[in-house]
Amino acid sequence: MFAEAPRESEAGRPMANEKPRYLGFGLGLRAQHYSDILNGDPDIDWFEVISENYMVPGGQPLRILDQIRARYPIVMHGVSLSIASTAPFDINYLKQLKALADRTEPVFVSDHLCWTGVHGINLHDLLPFPYTPEALEHVVARIHHVQDHLKRPLALENVSSYVQFRNSEMPEWEFISEMAKRTGCWLVFDVNNVYVSAFNHEYDPYEFIAGIPADRVVQFHLAGHEHNMTHIIDTHDALVCDEVWTLYEAALKRFGPVSTIIERDDDIPPLPVMLEELGKARHLAENVFAAPAARHD
Amino acid sequence: MSPVEVKHAREAESSKPSLSELQDAFQRAIMLGDDAVLHNLLDNSRTDRNVLFGVYRHAYVSRLVEVVRNDHPFLHRYLADKKFDELARSYVAARPSRSQNARWFSHGLPEFIEEAYPNAIHIAELAGLERALSDAFDAPDVPPLEMADLAAVPVESWADLILEPHPSARHLAFKTNAHALWLALKNDETPPPVESYPVAENILTWRDGSTPKVRRMSGEEAMMWKEAINGVPFGALCELVSIYDDPETAPLRAAQHLQTWITSGLLAKSASA
Repeated sequence: MFAEAPRESEAGRPMANEKPRYLGFGLGLRAQHYSDILNGDPDIDWFEVISENYMVPGGQPLRILDQIRARYPIVMHGVSLSIASTAPFDINYLKQLKALADRTEPVFVSDHLCWTGVHGINLHDLLPFPYTPEALEHVVARIHHVQDHLKRPLALENVSSYVQFRNSEMPEWEFISEMAKRTGCWLVFDVNNVYVSAFNHEYDPYEFIAGIPADRVVQFHLAGHEHNMTHIIDTHDALVCDEVWTLYEAALKRFGPVSTIIERDDDIPPLPVMLEELGKARHLAENVFAAPAARHD
Repeated sequence: MSPVEVKHAREAESSKPSLSELQDAFQRAIMLGDDAVLHNLLDNSRTDRNVLFGVYRHAYVSRLVEVVRNDHPFLHRYLADKKFDELARSYVAARPSRSQNARWFSHGLPEFIEEAYPNAIHIAELAGLERALSDAFDAPDVPPLEMADLAAVPVESWADLILEPHPSARHLAFKTNAHALWLALKNDETPPPVESYPVAENILTWRDGSTPKVRRMSGEEAMMWKEAINGVPFGALCELVSIYDDPETAPLRAAQHLQTWITSGLLAKSASA
């Protein structure tokens, strides 16, 4: 289907620069843990920060971010880029995102393969779209635009979805694979989202793993969800379940050592509970590779 | 299926909607309950697309209600869950988010309450106080004016001194005892009965270091503050203070207000003579 697609090297945009370095095992930075992190020396290699939380004029959020950044590598992870939206980009948002990236110097900048609204409205959700050649062309053009603006490669994450479109023409992993090939963007592989979407849309999550280009994956996300029997909702309010750990193991075997974080956005437990779960990820990876996991120091 | 649903299903199958058309329909389905997009979606073997799409509909409202809750913890405590959620839901319906950052979603809540509930001024003012404190929290970082900066200004230039407020500072004129309500809620006390004031109570919010603060201002201090932030030079401020009350002690009172502002971090360093 995509034999005619131009390679980006031919189009004058080099395939992405050097692959971001391996960071080890990190957490999504949450305000509830600021004090424990800054006043202690928790066993965390790096942090992923929600970009929008720090796209504010000033004050404590940016001061804390600077302090964390002085001690740890950081990845910026946004929720409102709306890369698949048919609405024009919010130029002010892109400027603010670049300003934060220039200030923070993250290892890379990421967001989600989704849209968040049209007609000037933001629904503040990570919404699905049909996997069609039209959508692929659209997303590829928008990724180029963002990468040109940020002057750094973008990483995009597969989202959890609850509906499938009648007019989709390819599986999600084929869309993602082609998107990465054409743009040189990196991929954040959310293991939980693959599990959730595979259950909701009744496909084999291992087929998803097999369909993703291993050399593009720069980060794993692990999180918990809510199982409603007929469908699963990606809530980030629970521990990572056994099935997702098993899928993580398979992802490690296919993609190799990849920077990993645990995400928690609701019912956020104390830091030691997060560290215990992170330790489980570290231990599992050590077993898979039978070698000590990398540390940032 | 109803005849209308059959028609939509046939249309969906016979024509391939563009990405733009689908996103438009998807958004309308979430925000307005329009079901047309469902014909472009698939069931799974366990449940139908209506249930699956419901996840997005539910998440849209509940996520934004939660944003409003997080931004207005004391208003939430004051109204309690049921009334607060009713207010927040009506806000979500009336004022969809137009910002890429959820930080600003509830920013229009005080004006929305004023318009939608004109008899609940205290609620609008309570929301306004919480908004001012949130704004102070992440206002731009500007070095505060210090006493040493003022000492460097030659005495003969004091009359021309123009004061610049710190960007975190806000003056609120309350027609009710919303500040007393807020204080009681903050201290986990029972809020007093609502009172309306014949003369507005002047409230000042700002950030001192990294801490958002709130305090009352006297009528005189509020008058001087209002004129100062409008660019009236210090000499003219002293004259206004002398008209407000005892002219003999006016210079001293004006100097005291200025000193309080400086030691609290209410003024920005870029004051110019």
